Amino acid sequence: MIRSFALASLFAAAPIAAAAHQLTVFASVDCEVVLVEAKFSNGNAVQQADVRILDGQNTLLTTLPIGQDGTLSIPLDSVDHSEGLVIEVDTGSHHNYWIVTPDDIARNCQS
Amino acid sequence: MKRYLATASLAGLIAATPAFAHYGMIIPDDPMISQEDGRSVALIMSFSHPFEMDGMMLDTPIAFSVTHEGTTTDLLGELESATVMDDQGYTLEYGLDRPGTYIFAMEPQPYWEPAEDAFIIHYTKTYVTAYGDDEGWDTELGLKTEIIPLSKPFGLWEHNVFQGIVKMDGEPVPYAEVEVEFFNDGAGATVPDELMITQTVKADADGVFTYAPPSDGWWGFAALNTADYTLPQDGEDKAVELGAVIWVHFEEWTGQ
Repeated sequence: MIRSFALASLFAAAPIAAAAHQLTVFASVDCEVVLVEAKFSNGNAVQQADVRILDGQNTLLTTLPIGQDGTLSIPLDSVDHSEGLVIEVDTGSHHNYWIVTPDDIARNCQS
Repeated sequence: MKRYLATASLAGLIAATPAFAHYGMIIPDDPMISQEDGRSVALIMSFSHPFEMDGMMLDTPIAFSVTHEGTTTDLLGELESATVMDDQGYTLEYGLDRPGTYIFAMEPQPYWEPAEDAFIIHYTKTYVTAYGDDEGWDTELGLKTEIIPLSKPFGLWEHNVFQGIVKMDGEPVPYAEVEVEFFNDGAGATVPDELMITQTVKADADGVFTYAPPSDGWWGFAALNTADYTLPQDGEDKAVELGAVIWVHFEEWTGQ
C-alpha cells in the first residue's frame, strides 16, 4: 500500500472524477516515460482529448493532445516529477485523472 | 415458537449439527480498489463455515492463480501461511499494476469430511476491480465447475439481485442447487432458525440462479454437484462433492 506523505496532498489537489459515461484514465511509468491511457467504460479508446500534466503542487506544467489510440507518452525528464504528477484527461464532455506518485516512479524505476 | 440464536453459541453446536455448509473463501480487503486505496489488494483464504465464523483446515491448495486481461498467473508460491478463524489459512498481498478486473481462483486439496462420507473440493473465486475499470467482470475461467456471473460481481447495492450461471465442465447445470451464506464477520447476524444460516436456491433449466441478499457484506454462493469420479479413502471409493464458489460483496445503500 502506498504510504507516501505526498500522496495525500496529491489526491487533495486532484479534481473530482466525472460521474457518468465513465472515462478511465491510467498512467504507467518507468525510468524514461509516463504512458497515459484513456478509454471509456465501453472499452473504446479516447480519440480526442487534452492531457494536462500538473506537478505535485497542482501547478500546470504542460498540456498535450492525446493520440488517436487513446495514449500519450511523456518523457519523464521533460517534467518536474519530484513530488509526483497529476495527469488530467479532458475530452470536453468527460474528464478524469490519474495520480503518478513518487512511490510509483521509485517502484518502477529500479536503476 | 421461533428461537433466535446468537452466532456465538452456534459455533458450539457445529459438532452436533454437521449439515452446516462448508465454503472455500477468498476475501479481499476491498473488491473495488481505487487509486486512492493504493496499488495492491490484500487477500485472505480459508475453508470455513462463514456464518458461524468457524474455520477448518485449508491445506496448501493445489492451485491458486489470478487472471487479468486474459492472462492467468500462478500465485501458489506466493501464499503466506496464516491463522484464519482459528485454523489454517493463507494470505496474499498482490500488486495491481494495471486497471481492470482481477479474478483470484483457488483449487483446494480434496477435503475428507467423515460426517458426509465424501470428499469436498470447492473451486473458489473472487473478482476484484482496479482503478475504476470493470472490463473483464464476466470472465469465465474454465474451471472444472464454476459460477459465471451475469450480474457484475462487485459494485452491487444491498438488496440487488445477483445472477449467475452454474457450469460443470463448461456446460450449464440445469436446476443446480446453490447454497448462499453470509460471511458474518463482525456483523452479529442471528437467525430465527438454523435452516436460515444457509439459504438455498435452484437454478433454472439453463443453469441460471438469482438471489437478493438482505444486507450489505460478503455473500458466498456455492453450487454443489457430485463429481463423476471417486477418490479412495480407507480402501473404499468415496464420492466427491464439487463446489463452484464465488464470493460477492454488496455495498450498503447510502440513500435515505
